[in-house]
Amino acid sequence: MNDIEQLIAGLSKDVQPVKPALHPYKLSLQWIGAAALYLLVTLALTGLRPDWHESFVEPWFVAEIATLFALFIVTALSTALLAFPDLHQKRLLAYAPLVPAVLFVAVILSAALADTPPAPLPEHSIECTCSILLTMLLPALWTFYSLRRYASTHYRLAGSIALLSAFSVGALWLRLHEVNDSIAHVVEWHYLPMLGVGLLGLWLGNRLLKW
Amino acid sequence: MTNRDDNLEDLMRQSLAGDQRAYAELLRATARLLKPFLSNRLRQSGEVDDLLQEILLSIHKARHTYDGQRPYKPWAYAIAKFRLLDHLRAHYADRLRDAEDYDELEEILPDDVTETGMSYESISAEVEKLPEKQATILRLMHHDGYTAREVAAKMGMNESAVKVAAHRAYKILRERLERQ
Repeated sequence: MNDIEQLIAGLSKDVQPVKPALHPYKLSLQWIGAAALYLLVTLALTGLRPDWHESFVEPWFVAEIATLFALFIVTALSTALLAFPDLHQKRLLAYAPLVPAVLFVAVILSAALADTPPAPLPEHSIECTCSILLTMLLPALWTFYSLRRYASTHYRLAGSIALLSAFSVGALWLRLHEVNDSIAHVVEWHYLPMLGVGLLGLWLGNRLLKW
Repeated sequence: MTNRDDNLEDLMRQSLAGDQRAYAELLRATARLLKPFLSNRLRQSGEVDDLLQEILLSIHKARHTYDGQRPYKPWAYAIAKFRLLDHLRAHYADRLRDAEDYDELEEILPDDVTETGMSYESISAEVEKLPEKQATILRLMHHDGYTAREVAAKMGMNESAVKVAAHRAYKILRERLERQ
């Protein structure tokens, strides 16, 4: 116990007043606000899809955008909770992204089933994935930078959910920008890469958020 | 119990305001709280003290993530559990490396290295000259009749590590006996 007494004496001797970290709700609001602003600016620069008033009366398109937006909000909140060692004692909320994720998959599957005859595939393919990845870079960097100032005990999961949140910003931008009705294309080049990004987040979390 | 818990939260709030005495008291109370938790999960007391120090350092480093508004204990235990898992992960990774050595040895050594045609008693003097851990393992297995699994449980090792140590001991013994 002698070493422990020495350590305690050393730690307490130099203790300074500490400003408690932002509450996770405020932290996530900050992220959501900044990401929403970024999305609006990007859309203003690149332009909203010209057929938006027709698209927004399509129930499956509206459902897709709504669940994707919900995924973005809930993953941002979950990332903020995962930044705290004890998940701010809101464990259920930290794992809440599962709900919009299931809803999102259900909507996409239903939209795919309802796509008869299938809408024509656009001529491009991987360009969409690359555009989403480029768009998500800034929100991802900012979120990881903020997360490093906290003390996550679930660093892999935090990294993964943070990247999914950033990816959903990129995916929202592309769906609101690109004129494309092919759900097959959207699944293959917009949403399937999400799985890879989630796995990449696990690895990045391990590399960058371990403390 | 509630008063004590309130006390920890109060101490942390005062610590966050820069009160050195409260912080020292809080860390002492935390060490008392966590010691039995670690002792129940680790075998050696040296390991417990080392890990406890690491946890106190982590609590110090992460204290800004506690706001004084929620219970202190779950926050402290979350950090303790996190460090304990890290420690166990590193510990078992070492043992796994030993177990990999064992797999390699299995390929090199004959199928039944214990079939030497000698009794334990005839080589017990050589066994006692082995490093203490290896000698104990051979004594327990060949004199007292324990299985590798039982020896592992008795010595706080894993079964593969016991087999590796035994194989290494057989190798040393064989070399020594061949020289005689």
